Amino acid sequence: MRLRIVLAVAKTTFREFWRSPEAVFWTYGFPILMAVVLGFAFRPRELPPVPVAVVAGEQAESTAAMLRRHGRFDVEVLGASEADRALARGRVALLLKSRDGEPVLRADPTRPEAEVARLLVERALRDERDGPGVPIASEVEDRPGARYIDFLIPGLVGLNLLGAGMWGVGFNLVQMRTQNLLRRLFVTPMARSEFLLGYLLGRFVLVVPEAAAIVLFGVLVWGVPLRGSVPAMVLLVVVGGFAFSGLGCLLATRPRTIEGIAGLMNAVQLPMWLLGGTFFSNERLEGVVRWAAELMPLTHLNRGLRDVMLEPGGVVDVAWVLAALGAFAFVAFAVAMRLFRWT
Amino acid sequence: MTANVASAEPAIELRGLRKVYTKGKKATVAVDGLELLVQRGEVFGLLGPNGAGKTTTVEVCEGLTVPDAGLVRVLGRQWGNGVDQEIRERIGVCLQETRFHEKETVRETLALFASFYARGRSVDQVMALVSLQEKADARQSSLSGGQRQRLSVATALLGDPEILFLDEPTTGLDPQSRRQLWEVVRAFRAGGGTVVLTTHYMDEAHQLCDRIAIVDHGRIIALGTPAELIRSLGAEHFVDIDVESFEEKLTGDELRALPGVQACEMKTARASLTVDSVHRVLPAVLQLLEERGIRMVGLATRHATLEDVFVHLTGRHLREDSKP
Repeated sequence: MRLRIVLAVAKTTFREFWRSPEAVFWTYGFPILMAVVLGFAFRPRELPPVPVAVVAGEQAESTAAMLRRHGRFDVEVLGASEADRALARGRVALLLKSRDGEPVLRADPTRPEAEVARLLVERALRDERDGPGVPIASEVEDRPGARYIDFLIPGLVGLNLLGAGMWGVGFNLVQMRTQNLLRRLFVTPMARSEFLLGYLLGRFVLVVPEAAAIVLFGVLVWGVPLRGSVPAMVLLVVVGGFAFSGLGCLLATRPRTIEGIAGLMNAVQLPMWLLGGTFFSNERLEGVVRWAAELMPLTHLNRGLRDVMLEPGGVVDVAWVLAALGAFAFVAFAVAMRLFRWT
Repeated sequence: MTANVASAEPAIELRGLRKVYTKGKKATVAVDGLELLVQRGEVFGLLGPNGAGKTTTVEVCEGLTVPDAGLVRVLGRQWGNGVDQEIRERIGVCLQETRFHEKETVRETLALFASFYARGRSVDQVMALVSLQEKADARQSSLSGGQRQRLSVATALLGDPEILFLDEPTTGLDPQSRRQLWEVVRAFRAGGGTVVLTTHYMDEAHQLCDRIAIVDHGRIIALGTPAELIRSLGAEHFVDIDVESFEEKLTGDELRALPGVQACEMKTARASLTVDSVHRVLPAVLQLLEERGIRMVGLATRHATLEDVFVHLTGRHLREDSKP
């Protein structure tokens, strides 16, 4: 292993990334943009008014007026067929009809907002008939550590590492293959191991700052807590980065075209975006989907990152995650090296 | 002169080289029992149409492609015998259509490749060799086709190689860029280096190469200096005579019977002659036309080229677009 070669390859790899404004944006800007948008969209607050339709008929207007007074509803009075259509299109969550003078609620129970609407309307009707019941105070959970943004930021770190491994490592390798550059490098006295080490080094110089940028943004702008140990966090980022780089190399072993690697990467990334626990918790999945999620390195990385950020986790608490990701990285690199198409 | 034992060996020795590419059920024989000796210090050209097996042959020499059969010796060494790295230190390779890192400058690209070699030339020396000093700090993406190609050759020169491989080095370049590259090759040879190049340009082969192997269907069908190959045609000149019409006033056989004429192809208004010397044949032809009262409207003579050699050997042209 000749250090001068490793460093020369690392320097080139680093410069090639740093000089691509678009790559820098998608690496640094995009996750932060996502943190802003999703943080705003899912910030803790009262539910918006529930859209409800009262089917035209006897007492329809007075019922509608009563619901409006209640303050939690967005009420329309519609003809029967118009009301059905509004329900089918999801423009209203629930229909309130009257049959033989008794109120009837119609809604699709599989839609969560319908269930909320039903409970609220039932309570409003009951209060109207029996007078207000026991007053119950309610609080909005908005303490740092329990909000959606607190859940999201560690997930974005994980997702960013996945992207770095896919696009930064895998995609670029295939691009170099299509440019005939891999072959050109291969006919020099440089060893493959020297190239690979330098290449990963060039990428890894940036992995920790990338993760740090997202975490820092979360901490400073949203007040996301960082309760665990920083060394554990750094270890997770580095080992997780290696795991995804290994995956990137593995995907890059055979494809000869940009389209080939892009398709392959999408096929691998999409399930992880959906089930890897970045945007939605995957702790309560069941059956096959549960198994699939448990097999994903992103699931474990995200879990480890949350242990360290949202709970006072240390290196020992995430040791198992580190070991699993490390083993994944080792196997991925080993297989990739055997199958890699240099020429 | 002191005899150097190593340089007594040929630069490249290929024996019974064979390579078959299999795609699905279809097998294509790229190289079919090719034999070749390239001596040290010569510029050796592999000339042939696209798909003749030139690139496969040089890639086998470069250690990029493993042959199915045959012996390959580069500088007396064989690939895969634990000496691969030693061979790579001593050769320089310029592949077809290599695109280097787009955002790197000429100097940075060369510095990367320079780091691979244990010894060799400096980045500045190599930039001077290919006249790219002025572009030293220009990024790859801003270079012209000719400049990119010179950069590609420059990366191959960094290790101060004994053999320089150039695969279609001037394809797609303008005439000036081609001549610039030829100068680089000539300078390398003048310094004692061996060059192996492939081309489908007959003028390039003629101008640049000491010896040429004409390759077709994975075999060498002719080998020699450009002059030898052309002489092998038995005639070195062509004369095209355009007339209003021959109208049976003159037959091809009569032209063929003139001294110095080797072949004659006759159409209603054109006779194409293959001759050994123009000055001997032309007066006789002109006299014959005048006697028969045939009015000439055009006359063209040209030297035989390697293209004619290829056509003579295969009945086809080197490049599909060069058909008359």
